[in-house]
Amino acid sequence: MFKFNNINLDIWTETYGISFYLTYLSRWPDLCCVQEAPNGHMMGYVIGKAEGHGQDWHGHVTALTVAPEYRRLSLARKMMSLLEMVSDETYKGFFVDLYVRCTNSVAISMYEGLGYSVYRRVREYYGSLGLGRASKDEEDAFDMRKPLSRDPHRRSVRANGREFVVSAHDVS
Amino acid sequence: MSTALDRQIRPIYDALDTQSNKSAVLACNKVLKKQPNNVLVKALKALALVRLQKVEESLLLADEVLAKKPTDDGVLTAMMHVLRGLGRHSDIVAMFETAYKQHPQNEDLGTQTFFANVRVGNWKAAQQVATKMHKQFQDDRYLYWSIFSAVLQANDMATPEALRPVLLKLALRLISSGNTPSYFNPDRFYVHLLILRELEMYDDAATLLNHEIGQKICETSLVCDEIRRDIMKLKGACKQEGEQAKVKILEKKDRNWLEFLSLLDATFWDIASTSEPASEDVKAAVTEEIAKTRKVFSEAATVDGLKDRSGLLALLELEKRTKSHGLWTDACEIRMMAENYFSQFGDKACCYEDLLPYLAFEGEELEQWTSFLNSRKSFDTPDTLQRSINVYKLLRYNLTSAELTPELELARAQEYIKVYLDGLKFGVNLPDTELQPADDFAILVGHAYVSLWKLTGEESHLQSAAATLEYASARSKQSYRIRLLLIRIYHLLGAPALALDHYRLMNVKQVQTDTLSHLILSRAAMWSLAPLGDITYMSECMEASQIYMSNSTETAEFIARAFSTERYSQIIDFIEFEDRLDNSLQRDLMKVEHVRMRVAHEPLNAELVDMELIELKFIFDRIHHDNRDFEVIPNYQPRCQPSFNEQTLPLKPPGAGWLSAYLKVYIRAFQEASDLDETLPLRERLVKKRQEEIDDLSEDEKLFYEYTLALSEWVGPYHDYVRPPPSALLAEAAKSNDLKPGHPLKSMAAAANGSATNGHSKKDEEPPAVKESPELIPKFFDDMKSRFDAVISGTALPSELLHIVATTQEAYLLFALETVRFKPNSIIKQYKFGQLAQSFKDLRVKASSILNEMSTVLAKLGEEVATPDGRKAFVQASSSIQDSSGFDHDFVLGVAKKTTDARKQTYEGIAKGLAKVVKNHS
Repeated sequence: MFKFNNINLDIWTETYGISFYLTYLSRWPDLCCVQEAPNGHMMGYVIGKAEGHGQDWHGHVTALTVAPEYRRLSLARKMMSLLEMVSDETYKGFFVDLYVRCTNSVAISMYEGLGYSVYRRVREYYGSLGLGRASKDEEDAFDMRKPLSRDPHRRSVRANGREFVVSAHDVS
Repeated sequence: MSTALDRQIRPIYDALDTQSNKSAVLACNKVLKKQPNNVLVKALKALALVRLQKVEESLLLADEVLAKKPTDDGVLTAMMHVLRGLGRHSDIVAMFETAYKQHPQNEDLGTQTFFANVRVGNWKAAQQVATKMHKQFQDDRYLYWSIFSAVLQANDMATPEALRPVLLKLALRLISSGNTPSYFNPDRFYVHLLILRELEMYDDAATLLNHEIGQKICETSLVCDEIRRDIMKLKGACKQEGEQAKVKILEKKDRNWLEFLSLLDATFWDIASTSEPASEDVKAAVTEEIAKTRKVFSEAATVDGLKDRSGLLALLELEKRTKSHGLWTDACEIRMMAENYFSQFGDKACCYEDLLPYLAFEGEELEQWTSFLNSRKSFDTPDTLQRSINVYKLLRYNLTSAELTPELELARAQEYIKVYLDGLKFGVNLPDTELQPADDFAILVGHAYVSLWKLTGEESHLQSAAATLEYASARSKQSYRIRLLLIRIYHLLGAPALALDHYRLMNVKQVQTDTLSHLILSRAAMWSLAPLGDITYMSECMEASQIYMSNSTETAEFIARAFSTERYSQIIDFIEFEDRLDNSLQRDLMKVEHVRMRVAHEPLNAELVDMELIELKFIFDRIHHDNRDFEVIPNYQPRCQPSFNEQTLPLKPPGAGWLSAYLKVYIRAFQEASDLDETLPLRERLVKKRQEEIDDLSEDEKLFYEYTLALSEWVGPYHDYVRPPPSALLAEAAKSNDLKPGHPLKSMAAAANGSATNGHSKKDEEPPAVKESPELIPKFFDDMKSRFDAVISGTALPSELLHIVATTQEAYLLFALETVRFKPNSIIKQYKFGQLAQSFKDLRVKASSILNEMSTVLAKLGEEVATPDGRKAFVQASSSIQDSSGFDHDFVLGVAKKTTDARKQTYEGIAKGLAKVVKNHS
């Protein structure tokens, strides 16, 4: 946390209180990972957790971020695959899911490239970035999922997820 | 609990939950009327009271509850919050221990007792509780709690050296006594490995690690893998590690940089592991290894292509190490590798930082490298733009001092501006939440102008830098890097308000305040208008200090939680994190800044003096961690120059030495001014100067430091004589029972008068003879005056001027602080201090006139700077950026207006502040 300024000063990355980070580290340290450059600078990090009941038991990507100067190097891809691997092998989850702003097309296409698909659209999940924007799309999130080896029949995903809308109150 | 009672208690909890603490107290009183001995309600009332800051009442109730030795879950939980609020952490431990003793079968109470010890870091007691629990409940989890508590006790600084191995051996013995082997889960396995490593039992650790399950765990658990690497290295099994790494790199396509480092270490092991000069045979063998490793890395690089840069970076590192071990074969190898890397990853932003360690070229190599780079400039697409940015940065890095003339730098600045403005076309359609791809060119402009300023000493270059960067910041609103440069430049230009604006726009929060608040709060007292009642910087200090509060309330809780989830691998990190924040250098630097501003802001009464004395003494003996982040400030200056950070610091950043010097200055002054009994005998240490303190101070601060020493040496004996004895103070305190503990007096003057009239002043010895003031004291003010005059007539920056003014003002305030006790006429008469009072008066008059003069000059400067002429001068100074480019005159004028207005505001505010300080303390 003393070294993450180059990442967290970027607007897309939120800086949380101590308890946020320590909650994740004290419960799912193996779903949290930092990538460092050879010179010791932080390049990016991922924070995840395992949650849900029964068939819904899954890995969740809470935060995934890469410093501006280390973008376009497939770092996110590598961190995602680590998280998927741990969710699969250690936590035996059925799928991995994540939320992304509907306007963040770069991220969405990256996740699609990694095998994720939209499961549903969550209304007003994010705070507004300010007035005078395409605020609907900005505040809504796509819940994207990718099935793991415990779900060989792909029960955790569906094809028409973009049309499936829920409100933010209905999700945890 | 009966339903009737439940009905009565429910509203109390509801009120507490909604923070309606007043109604919670009322609800409690209602129940207590009927059941005056209800312990739970008493505990809840104590909680509401502590939240209402009614500490004394809460203390009384809490003690009543504790005396009942509660064991009820609800009472204990409420009391835990109460005691935490009162800062009585050890009482929490005692409370749970007492409860657990009464009900040794209660597992929950045992757990709570264990956690209470964990929260305060009492590992020995924690270990004993866990051992007891393990015996009682036969759960391996408690066994590991006890094992890890022993490990932590061994790690604790307070544990004697000889006891450490004993504790670790105990822990190891306990592991083998468990029902399940340690590889039952990764964190237990980690604990086992950790103990073996600390005991240097590397072979035993290797046996565990080579076991099938051990290997499996290391594959998925990064922490276990990390400690595995460490153990193998300590064991000297570098070559074996290298072999494994080779397999991982080639077959499993593992691109963890640590694997590459393992292979590199293995390659040079035969040379690097001994201090003896290597024989020719060894050299030949290593050379052979190098060739093999080169093949591995080349293969990785070829397979990956553009997908991963590890292979190419590893090749560079390989050549660099080859050279450093004197096994150089071909002089151009590193350059070729660098070119190779650039050809593949030259259009990525990370290219510059990746290549930096390998580029210290000279002579012919440098020429070739330069011409290689020069041929790679192009600006057709966003990708080639990024590549060109890298080219410009890399070229700049290797500039020699001969190439850093003002003319050439100016030409460079103009070229950077040109390519910056051209490059903006690639970002026209981007939303304003995106960064402009050409931003780094603007950052280079800033660097070139700062370098020009350093070369010529002309302030105009800083103004050009500010104008360009403002332009870029308006186009790339989210670029914190541009703001970082602006913050530094505005401070140099004497426009701290603008620096603060940019800092606030960066939205620094939470733990970032510890690492980044130095940007605006280093020596903030020199910018502060506290004498005028402006508390901007004081509140910034308070706000930035919030994180230390949440650290002390939250982090310990997570250490306990990590025990409950058995995440032992995180606990050591959490403890270190807590310690680094708790003992952060920046934390106490801010504290000292706050005190410096407070002294200028508030009347110098006993409340201020006693409170700050206690608080400063509390931090005096801390061992500090410097968490400040200077790395985040971009640096693209040539390697023969200091970094941008170093160039733009108005003064050397305050470090541990600076902190120690200023703590001594203020503790000494407060101690003399205070009537509080000296509980810690610090005096001898307070007058001792240390070299590291002197080294950390600016020239003016050094003079100031000497001045304060002379002052307190002179005035100290009179304070000691006049200070009322503790018995008089106690009597005084007893008389006024509305005073809080720790603040026995309302004002010093009252105390002095009181002691005089109460007749407590009869002393056996004669008052110390009145001595003339040491020469150093008036001389200090004269010196500062001449420093001020010299700077005014020279070309120094506003920041230097303000530093001199602030230091003089601070000296004046300390003088006031050291002499306030002797102000009342009764004191002067009683102790025959007439002559002393006269010396004080003479000095005060002298210092006042110097401060007043400074004030007049500053006010005049302030007026001059913000006139149309002043702005015109600014615009003209920045003519170089207009000549070369499409920067319009109005834009530069706008920046000029903002900067000069901000400077005027600072000058005038500080001038008025000086006058006010003089008036308040004359």
